[in-house]
Formats: sequence, C-alpha cells, structure tokens
Amino acid sequence: MTALERAIADPAPVAGFGTRSPVDGLQRRSVGFIDVLSQSVSAVAPSAAATTIPILVAVVAGGGTLWALALAMVLSLLVGSTVNQFSRRIAATGSLYTYVSRGLGTGAGFVVGTAMLIGYGFIAMFALAGAGYYVAILVARVWPGAGDSPVLAIGLIAAMALVVLIVIVRGIRLSTRVTLLIETVSVAIILVLVVTLLAHTGPGIDWSAFSLAGSTPATFAVGSVLALTAFVGFESSSSLGVEARRPFAAIPRAIVWTVIVSGSLYLLATYTQIVGFSALGLQLVDSASPVNDLATAYGVEWMGLLLDVSIATSFLACGIASTTALARVLFAMGREGVVPPVFGATHRRFRTPWVAAVVSVPVVAVVPMIAILLGSGLWETMQVLIVVAAAGYITAYALVCVAAPVFLHRIGELTPWAAVRAAAAAALLGVGLVVYLAVEFASTRWVGALLFVLLLAAGCCYYLVRRRRHPWLRDTIGVYDVPVASDVLGGWVGEGAGAGAGDAGRAPAGESGRWD
Amino acid sequence: MTGTARERSEAAGASGAGAPPAPPADLRARQPKAVHSALAVLEEVARCGAGVTAQEVSENLRMPRATTYRLINLLVQDEYLVRMPDLRGFTLGRKVVELAHLVVPAPPPQAAVAVVEELRASIRGGVHLVRYESDRMRVVDADPDFPLADERRLHGELDASAMGRLLVAELLSTGTPLPAAISPAVRDSPARLEALCRTVAAEGRAWQLDAFTPGFGCLALPIRGPRGELVAGLTLSAPRVRIEEPGAVLGLLTEGARRLAPLLR
Repeated sequence: MTALERAIADPAPVAGFGTRSPVDGLQRRSVGFIDVLSQSVSAVAPSAAATTIPILVAVVAGGGTLWALALAMVLSLLVGSTVNQFSRRIAATGSLYTYVSRGLGTGAGFVVGTAMLIGYGFIAMFALAGAGYYVAILVARVWPGAGDSPVLAIGLIAAMALVVLIVIVRGIRLSTRVTLLIETVSVAIILVLVVTLLAHTGPGIDWSAFSLAGSTPATFAVGSVLALTAFVGFESSSSLGVEARRPFAAIPRAIVWTVIVSGSLYLLATYTQIVGFSALGLQLVDSASPVNDLATAYGVEWMGLLLDVSIATSFLACGIASTTALARVLFAMGREGVVPPVFGATHRRFRTPWVAAVVSVPVVAVVPMIAILLGSGLWETMQVLIVVAAAGYITAYALVCVAAPVFLHRIGELTPWAAVRAAAAAALLGVGLVVYLAVEFASTRWVGALLFVLLLAAGCCYYLVRRRRHPWLRDTIGVYDVPVASDVLGGWVGEGAGAGAGDAGRAPAGESGRWD
Repeated sequence: MTGTARERSEAAGASGAGAPPAPPADLRARQPKAVHSALAVLEEVARCGAGVTAQEVSENLRMPRATTYRLINLLVQDEYLVRMPDLRGFTLGRKVVELAHLVVPAPPPQAAVAVVEELRASIRGGVHLVRYESDRMRVVDADPDFPLADERRLHGELDASAMGRLLVAELLSTGTPLPAAISPAVRDSPARLEALCRTVAAEGRAWQLDAFTPGFGCLALPIRGPRGELVAGLTLSAPRVRIEEPGAVLGLLTEGARRLAPLLR
C-alpha cells in the first residue's frame, strides 16, 4: 500500500483539470438514485403504455403478444446495457447525442441529436395531448358533452404546458420529485386494477395466453417493434449526468431498472387483459378500450374512472420528464455552439437550463393545438405523434449500439461480451427500424413516418450548413461533465482552465472557455 | 478459515438484502477478494501516476481485463478514481483521502511524542518510533533531523532494517506467515531466519550494520503490549561504532521504551 499511502500523504500535482466543468451552471450532483429512476420511468409512462400498447401489439402479433413484449423487453435490456457502457463513463446532459458524438464522431452524433430532439419533443407533445385527452374524458364524466369541445382540449393542453414549464424551470429536484409522486400514484392505480381483474378471473395460470397461435414470424417481428415503443424513454435519465449524485452508479442502475419495472408491468397487464377477455369468451383485439371494457364486463365500473386518472397522470409525468430531457439536450447543443449559445444559459437561482425550457415547452404545446385547430381529433393526432417519436428513439438506439464498441475500443476498454451485445442490439434495431417505418408508411399514420424522415433530413441539412460556417464545431460537439480539479487528488489548475501542461493536450480541445 | 469466510459472506448478504445501497455494496457482494483487488487497483493507479489506462492496470496487475474494467468502473462510481478528461486515463479521486484512516496510521499520542522528543534531545543520532500491526510496519514518528535513508527498501525488505527484523522475529516466533516484503535470499533460508530470530530473542533487540548507509547502523528495541505482543519499536540510527557499543545510550533507550509501552497500547 505504500504508493497509495504516499499519494494520500503527499499528492502529486495532477494538471489538466479546470476549476469549472464545461456544463457548469446546472445543479451539479444534487439528485439521488430515486430521482434519476423516476426521470426514466416517467419518460416511459408505463401506466399509459400498459393500457394502450397490448392491444396495438395484439392486433398485429395475434397469439404471440406476450412473447413479442418479452422480446421487446430483452431487446431493451440489450440496448440499456449498451447505453450503460457510456453512462458508466461519461456524465453528460446530451444523453445519447453526446455518447454517439464521442463514439462515432460529430456527424453521426448530430444525426442522433436530431433523432433525440424528435424523440423527446414528439413524446412530450404526445404526452401533453394524452394528458389533455384523458382529463377531457374525466371532465366529461361530471359535465357531459364537454369532452368533444376543441376549446376545452386546447385550454387543457395550455394549462398542462404551463405546469410543465414551471416545474422544469424551478429546479431539477422539483421536477423529479413531482414526476416521482405522479408516476407512483399512476402505477399504483394500474396495479390495483390488474390485481382486481385477476381476482375476478379466478386463480390459476391460463397457459393459453402464452400460445403462439395465429402469429407468423413477420407479424411477430412487427409486433415486437411496436412493443418496443412501449419501452422508449428508458435512457432519458442519462440526460441527468451532471445533476445526479454518483452519476456513474445511479444512471446505469436507473436505466436497467426502468426496463425491468415497466417490462414486468406490461407482461402482467397484457396477461390480465388476454385472460380477462378469453374468460368472457371474447378477443382482446376486438376491444377498443380493453381495460375499460373489462372493468364494465366484470361489474367494476369505478375502475374506469381510476384508470383515466392513472393514464392522465402518467402522461403528465411523461410530459415533464421528456421536456426535462429535451431541454438538457438543447442545453448541451447550446454550450457546444450547435444551436445559438443562449440555449446553454442556466438560471442563476434555480440552476436549470431555463432558456431551452422556455423555448421548447411552447413549441411542444403548440403542435398538438394546431393539429386540433386543423380539425384533427386529439386521439388521431396522438397516433401520428407517437410514430414520429418512436422512429426517433429507435434510430438513436440503433446508432448508440453501433457507437458503443467503437468508443470502448478507442479508450482501450472493449471486451468481447460487450461487443457481442452491442452488435446484436444494433442488428436487431436496424431491422426493427426498417420494419417499423415500412409498417407505418403503409398505415393510416403514414404522416408520422413521413414527418420523421423530413425532420431528420432537415436536421442534417442544418448541421451541414452550421458546420461549414463554424468549422470549430468539430471540436466542441460532445460536451460532457469533465471532473474539476477539486474532484481529483492533487488536482491542480494551471494558468487558465485546462491549459496546464502534459495531459491537457489530450483533453478535448476547445471545451473550456467557449461559453464565457 | 473457510468457515469465517462463509460467515462473513452470509453476513454481507443479509445486510445487503434490505439495506439502502451503501457505496461499497457492489464490492461486498463480490466478496473479500474483490475488495483486495480494488485496493490493488488503487495502489497501481497511485504507483503509475495520473493518466494510467485501464488496460495498463490490467496488464500490470495480471488481472483479467473484464474484471479490471468492472472494478475500475466501480471505483469511478464511488469517486475513488476519476476518469481523466481524455476518457482513457485515470487518476486518484479526492475521495481516497477517506481511505486514509485505513492506510495512514493515526499519529502517536502527545505523551508518546514528548517521550521521544526527550530522547532525541539527550541522544546524538536519529530516534524513530515505529508501530506494528499484524504483519505490517509503519514509521509513525521519524526523526526530522535524521531522515530515513530509503523508505521504499525499508518497507520492501523487512529483513534489512533493525525495525523490520524485530517484526520478522516476532512473526516467526508466533508462527504467523511472513509477508511478501522480505528479500527472497532470507525468506528461502531457514538458517538465516533462525539466526535472525535467535539474535532478537537473546539480546532483546534487533540491529543492522551498513545495510542502508555504509558506516552506519541501527538498533531497535521492542515495545510490547499487555500480553507481550509486539506493538511498537524504538530505534536509533547512528554511526556503526555506537550501534556495536551503545553504552549508556542503551539505558536511555530501554528506559524510553519502558515509558512508551503504556502509551502505545
């Protein structure tokens, strides 16, 4: 132990660290594991997905619904463990955007950045619209006839957006705590409903729910990709890399647990719905609103009300969580100079990226409002929004799985098992993305698929123009929370941050001082 | 031995089940050897200095790569290690200072320091105070006027110094396995080990001549605890004639060791 002893007693000066991180200004190292977990879980919105996704999968995959969900869960775990190769090593706010920039370079990084902005942005729109939709249903229960009014829908969305904005500007702790509270209520309600339904269908396991009858490999594949959309968002805690306490421990754990928690909930809910319908002699796929129909059929109508509350709250939490992540990706881009530097500003007191939040929340709220004003129903709008978002997520996931082995190789920490997992996930996701876009282009929601392709292309054009005008972007993209001198034993600040000697030359150039 | 290990692992499992995730939980879950490896990794990073890569640590320690990377990432999670801005290299985190109580000895009590100071005032030569813990030795109060010649060798070859010989003799007489820090020539020679042991037993002290600085030597007096176990040592380094024939100085040192004994338990 002598070398360690000596190092502690008389630390050798270590140069190459600044006094401030390039992502300085956020509430650094302030939220714990539970907050980080609630960010990821809320972004997934498991309660809302548990009631809506099984029917979507069942329509395509037939008897193989449970298996399709299980496959999607395994795939999500593969992606999650690959994302964690980054989240264990880089603490960033840009989530997958930063990771891919560090693995595959700025070009691929920006494609993922655009895909993540699309993913987080459209899921936030979807969530706001969904929260508005279900609150409108609740209002209609006490005030019949009001549910169809576009004015009510627009007013509700505006009110929710205001809540989201206030919460995410007032501090990361407030937003994670609010989402935690809301999401816990929502999941608890769903669990009560599922257990109640299971109690009504009687004891014992109905093995017919696990049969693969009526599904072909093709329909099964499509069903699995649809099921994957129930998981998207699990990586969003990686946008809290700066704000999480012990980020290299909390974030990987949160990502894996989010997939496990929501996956288990989906499997349980799907099983309940399949068994519930078969006990009635009916088919899940024939129902428009499975859980409501089941509740009515089993004579427990009070469940319908609870269910609407659960879904509405789940959507609101999802809106907060997705906008939190969206604002942090924009914040990273602002610090890098990819978007105007004002996006990189933080609030002096609340220590949140408030400019990014103030700009993104109205955009997120206005899109569904416009769709409603154009005469599209809220539910139809949501169907299109989720397609755009899901395509964005799957694109980003596929690229992050390609980037992980490259990154690990570059830093000399590649192991065979990590490479195999990443390659398997990348291949499956690549196929999945093609299948998903093909299916959606052929469906009534083709607008969503088209919108995604156009937005991604627009983002890439923006990047090419911006890169030509500012060649230094090559050096700034991929900003992350570099340890500061005070984190390091013997950490020493030379003349000017990071401009010391020796190792400073190996630090990503230009990351210090750009935002001053 | 295995019984204790099993008990310890069961205790760790029980406390790990419902308890909140304490920082070392991941290490504990993989059991004592992992803790040992983790400390070896920290030691290696300290030895190589800032910027050492995970691959280098794995090669230097001859540890499997996947294991090393996992350990390093756990240590980074707990901030004992910090990843350098280039993402490849590592350096010690400020948090290793929290390990200091494990690796840096507590300073000796004030009363003991006073006794040692008094001896230094009346003896020409370096007077050092050393403490022993199981098979380890730490100089807790080195004479500022006579710095230790070669601290690395002092700890690396216990058989070379007088203070180290005290410890080796103690370990041999109690039947405790010897640590690695003994020169192979002595370790593999039962005759030399026995000679060392016999000298200390017969004279009640250990000494060496010319081992570190030609013309100089050192003698070490044991300070024992209530059950006769070796807890500390009082040493004098001086020109070799004064070690061979200490004369009145030996009385002063013996009296000093007697006064220190109750202060160092």
